[in-house]
Amino acid sequence: MEIIEQIKTNKLIDNPTDIQKICLDKLQSRPLPNPKSELWRLSNKSKFSNFLNYSVNEKVRNSDISYPFNSQNIIRITIGDNSQISLVEENYSIQQLSENKVNAYIKEQISCFDQNDNWSDLLNLSLSCTKNILGLKINGSKIPPIEIFSHASSNSLKAKTLVIFLEKNCDIELLQVNLGKENSSLSQSTFFCLEENSSVNHGVVSYGENKSNLLNSLNVIQQKNSEYNLGSLHFKFNYARFEIRIKQATGSAKTNIKGMQITKKDEQISTYTKIDFNGPNGFLDQINKSLADDKSHAIFEGSIIVPKIAQKTDASQLSRNLLLSNLAQIDTKPQLEIIADDVKCKHGATISQLNEEELFYMRTRGITLPEASKLQLSSYFQEIISFIPVSKNRWDLLDKLLNEN
Amino acid sequence: MGVSFVKVYKAYCNKLFLDNMVKENLVKDVVKEPYKYGFVTDIETEKIAKGLNEDIIRLISQKKEEPKYLLDFRLKAFKKWQKMDEPDWAGLGYKQIDYQDIIYYSAPKQKEKISSLDEVDPKLLETFDKLGIPLTEQKKLTNVAVDAVFDSVSIATTFREELAEHGVIFCSISEAVKNHSDLIEKYLGTVVPASDNYFAALNSAVFSDGSFVYIPKGVKCPMDLSSYFRINSGDSGQFERTLIIAEELSSVSYLEGCTAPMFDTNTLHAAVVELVALDDASIKYSTVQNWYAGDEEGVGGIFNFVTKRGKCLGKRSKISWSQVETGSAITWKYPSCLLLGEESIGEFYSVALTNNLQQADTGTKMIHIGPKTKSTIVSKGISAGNSINSYRGLVKMGTKATGSRNYSQCDSMLIGDQASANTFPYIKSQQPNSEIEHEASTCRISEDQLFYLQSRGIEFEEAISMMVSGFCRDVFNQLPMEFAAEADKLLALKLEGSVG
Repeated sequence: MEIIEQIKTNKLIDNPTDIQKICLDKLQSRPLPNPKSELWRLSNKSKFSNFLNYSVNEKVRNSDISYPFNSQNIIRITIGDNSQISLVEENYSIQQLSENKVNAYIKEQISCFDQNDNWSDLLNLSLSCTKNILGLKINGSKIPPIEIFSHASSNSLKAKTLVIFLEKNCDIELLQVNLGKENSSLSQSTFFCLEENSSVNHGVVSYGENKSNLLNSLNVIQQKNSEYNLGSLHFKFNYARFEIRIKQATGSAKTNIKGMQITKKDEQISTYTKIDFNGPNGFLDQINKSLADDKSHAIFEGSIIVPKIAQKTDASQLSRNLLLSNLAQIDTKPQLEIIADDVKCKHGATISQLNEEELFYMRTRGITLPEASKLQLSSYFQEIISFIPVSKNRWDLLDKLLNEN
Repeated sequence: MGVSFVKVYKAYCNKLFLDNMVKENLVKDVVKEPYKYGFVTDIETEKIAKGLNEDIIRLISQKKEEPKYLLDFRLKAFKKWQKMDEPDWAGLGYKQIDYQDIIYYSAPKQKEKISSLDEVDPKLLETFDKLGIPLTEQKKLTNVAVDAVFDSVSIATTFREELAEHGVIFCSISEAVKNHSDLIEKYLGTVVPASDNYFAALNSAVFSDGSFVYIPKGVKCPMDLSSYFRINSGDSGQFERTLIIAEELSSVSYLEGCTAPMFDTNTLHAAVVELVALDDASIKYSTVQNWYAGDEEGVGGIFNFVTKRGKCLGKRSKISWSQVETGSAITWKYPSCLLLGEESIGEFYSVALTNNLQQADTGTKMIHIGPKTKSTIVSKGISAGNSINSYRGLVKMGTKATGSRNYSQCDSMLIGDQASANTFPYIKSQQPNSEIEHEASTCRISEDQLFYLQSRGIEFEEAISMMVSGFCRDVFNQLPMEFAAEADKLLALKLEGSVG
């Protein structure tokens, strides 16, 4: 883990920016997260060190990347491609934030970061050079769907950072795609700020290739009456972590999350979510699905925190898991921490395999076992995929998932 | 007519002002009921010096005239304990315990050997009488055999002869060490090894007394067995150890109760309970824990750090834990089941009530190892005052647990907006052909239900008590008759004057 050594000896970056300095300072005394902490105890050590084994390499070979074709009514942005973004139309504007503004916001966020809990963000911001930090301010209405790409490059560790401010009364559809490459690591941190009455349908689709690793962190702050809908899908990573932290800053906000992770071979994919209700009348509906096959390991840990101030919170969290092989394993821990008394909070978790009765039913109708399993899986996937704002003819995720099987 | 109108009107007013009342009065008034077991028995006791070292352990062992293997067991555990760190993962905030400031052996002075109850110090009998556990022949509880433990030693065990007729051994663990050494050597530490955790290691090193139960093959224990633990002295810890063995086709129901006097210092209670169930055996272990919880300011009270575990070794064996936890300043307890035998069953039913500054971190571990094993978890937490009530449980399906099932349900009820209720379920599966279901919910006493009950002429407090009792019904149904009534009463008392 060369990177860790470099952090310790302060040799990681030659001319660090202010933000890099602050983050490196925070990491220097304890450059690695505490393996005994709740957030990291299940993380596979050798896979995690594999993530850190690549060196930071700024050269990009565009030929590496193949995205689905772009249709005209979609705004496509790639983090780190140097282009200046400024779209000012009649109804809306999408503008790149100045470096100073982005830095000021990030600094404010870092000030309350914990070395262990926000380790992924600290590492990301230590490694992200100015070019790879993209800040956007979005305003207006009738905004066409936006796609934002982050991609890794083979044999290197890349860090990309995205900051988005969604202005008041603004409503967008945003798909974020993280692409892993063979033998690569990608660290993606996203900071989302939703102003009052804004609403976003946010899709996060991450898929890799052989031996790709991903550390994906998402920090969302929601103001009053904002609505945040997240549909996420992670698959085909040797090691992937998806950390979601959502804070309803003053309450009265709505959050819907539907996430899924699929692990095969000896992969390990984990999702950690922390939903903080910091005001009354908050709403959360979350479902996380995992599917683990072969020798893989899928992990979900979700916490809902309802302090005294968050009266009348209505939160529910469900973890549904399919375990398809004798050698695979699933860990799940949905947790509630509640102090307010006038709240409705519930959570549930199930782990099982495909429903035998349903399979039997289909087989009695002449459907073969593989077809029946595929049908069942497609209905299992469909609930999540239909929540991700993607156009079906360009990103046929369901097809992708089922044909992987 | 007039009276009922007044009642309905009163209920209506209550409904109107309920919001304010709930906010202002509820928290203050929760649990006004004084702790009625807080008296101290003035009795001459034999105590050893404070502190913990190898010599102390040798002294305890010598006092109990233990064989060498047991002394070795203690010393080995002590060595392990010295290398361990006190756990802090539960995030329970308590003042650091000075383990050198505790007396590890304290016993009421009495004649060397007691052959009958007549020779027991009357003061002791009186103490247990006051606690509602009469030990004397005339008064003793019908159909429940009691082993009464006072500080570090067992005082008396009732119905021994009757039990002996069926081959059931029910005595203090010190006696069992002397008379049934083979069983102790075979089973002690097999369910909870000395190195299991910090407090289990401490207990293994210094355990003083506790109960031993052996149910021979094919015997259904003719009566409920019960242990009553009483801490009397303020500066000694209680480290009892219970071992229950149910041979093939046998069954037993065991009850445990605990109280302590009110001291403004904290007393440590670190017990270990081990259960072993062989083929087709069944053990039902029920606890009503009512240690002193400290005062409203959180001063004093018992630190209840207990390791309870059962091993379903045999096929179709069953271990069922049911507990009502109302006392202790801090409770840290996870009665668990290791389900090894094919088709074995583990159950956990719990009601935990916390108030004032109490903290309870309790739950269970169901480790499914054998095939077709089943477990059920029903946990009800009620938090009031400034207390913290957490459910922390683990359900694990091992690779060989094919066709196994688990169902967990954890409900929390919050009374007042200062209390906290947490749920931390750890779920792990390595077996696709098994099913795990977990659900949890949080609620508070519904104003509509209160209004409904009151409009039918039920007094405010009685309505609260009824609702709490209804909330806990699933668990109370699992308690033995004697306990169910007591538990219901206990909760009602603890919540008296709590709302409005």
